[in-house]
Amino acid sequence: MSEPVFELRDLSSFYGKGKNRLRYLKNINLSLRQGEVLGLVGESGSGKSTLAKCLLGMVTDTEGYLKVNDPRPQMVFQDPYGSLNPAKTIGWILEEPLRAIDIKDKAERRRRVLEMIALVGLEEKHLTRRPSQLSGGQRQRVAIAAALIQGSKFIILDEPVSALDVTLQAQILQLLVDLKERLGLSYLFISHDLSVVYQICDRVAVLYHGEMVDQGDVDQVYDHPASDYTKRLLEASLALD
Amino acid sequence: MKKRNWYLTFGSVLTACMLVFIALGFFWTPYDPGALSARDKLAEPSLQHLFGCDQLGRDVFSRTLNGAGNTLIIALAVLAVGFVFGLLIGALCGYYGGAVDATVMRVCDAITAFPSILLAMVVIAIIGPGTYNIIAALGILFIPSFARLVRGEFIKYRSRDFVHSARLAGVPAMRIIFVHILPNTWPVLLSGLTIGFNNAVLSEASMSFLGIGVGPADASLGRMLSEGQSSLFSAPWCTLFPALVVILLVLGVGMVGEGIRERIR
Repeated sequence: MSEPVFELRDLSSFYGKGKNRLRYLKNINLSLRQGEVLGLVGESGSGKSTLAKCLLGMVTDTEGYLKVNDPRPQMVFQDPYGSLNPAKTIGWILEEPLRAIDIKDKAERRRRVLEMIALVGLEEKHLTRRPSQLSGGQRQRVAIAAALIQGSKFIILDEPVSALDVTLQAQILQLLVDLKERLGLSYLFISHDLSVVYQICDRVAVLYHGEMVDQGDVDQVYDHPASDYTKRLLEASLALD
Repeated sequence: MKKRNWYLTFGSVLTACMLVFIALGFFWTPYDPGALSARDKLAEPSLQHLFGCDQLGRDVFSRTLNGAGNTLIIALAVLAVGFVFGLLIGALCGYYGGAVDATVMRVCDAITAFPSILLAMVVIAIIGPGTYNIIAALGILFIPSFARLVRGEFIKYRSRDFVHSARLAGVPAMRIIFVHILPNTWPVLLSGLTIGFNNAVLSEASMSFLGIGVGPADASLGRMLSEGQSSLFSAPWCTLFPALVVILLVLGVGMVGEGIRERIR
């Protein structure tokens, strides 16, 4: 079997110094297989984002084993209004990650940008626009393109569709699934929306106050939740549907 | 539907008129601004001397043109010194934060705590008067306000997702600061620049009024006000016209600044 995209064994993370050093994540065991979509579920403050930051190297105060096998994991953020630089054009925003990995040839950058916007379902005319001139769905497509353009295979999706309305949600989720198949990506899909997780994820992990209370295949966790917290989450989401 | 931005329109027109007027003074004045004429001492405004003459018989129109030019150049130079250093300090402090930021900002607080003119007088007393010294003294005093403005903007933007994205993509910190964040702060900086410009004009005028500004041979709006005050009631034109230029220039630029702020909202 090929090696996992990331692997955490007994990982704890801390915040603060000295007496105020608090343990945020408690002994997490988790891994992501290649080509898999792993859902990460929990309420705000449960440690989802902290876990993502550990994987991205933004949180360094950790104990335990942490290995990420992608040289440059990328992230797609929840709010497409905040994740694109408002002062720049879409073309510039997509070229910048290429400049950052030292692709000096302008024509080569242009070629890769055009290839990428076609993949995410945008057109060349969008390149000269600014983020404020695009719709929410278009912006999220740009954010996805920017995350993929360096060729990273491991993408963290932080609530990528929760700021969009339901029709757009379905479109973006479909796009994510297509891109995964076509480019051989692996996703860590952070969400609090259990129905979205059910649609897109192969496996799911549930975090509660920094502890992992449930983990397994989506069907198994949804049908036979191991913890009371997961049960309550499921009941709450059913009540809404 | 869109409301017309009267501040910006009217302010731009007024500022443009004043700048044209001042620019004219660089190339042409009806008389030599320093030429004395005993015969025209305190002459009233007339067709020969549009703004009249001062107590030494110098043409007030020529001196106003010339003095406004000097005042403008000094104000712009002061603004440039304050802006460049304020921008560098503010951007680095705002982006990185931490102990250095805290220390630098306390120093800025200390500078701001003194009345600026008083502090400028102390600096001039130490390094001596003269145009370049005035620019240095006032410029240093203008650094803290710009630094604080820029720092606030950078604190606002450094935790935005587009900055996180850039970091994840491996963009170097200096590039994030000056290429990614800085362009977003221009509207705020521009309106800050207009306020700074007005303060610089008024500071230069105040310094010259107090006699620690430009040298005695040079004209400056502040110096003209100072020289004219002895004949304020007998020959009001000596002070009226330079004062009017200060007021209109500051008003115009101030309205442009207000217009920019309105547009940001």
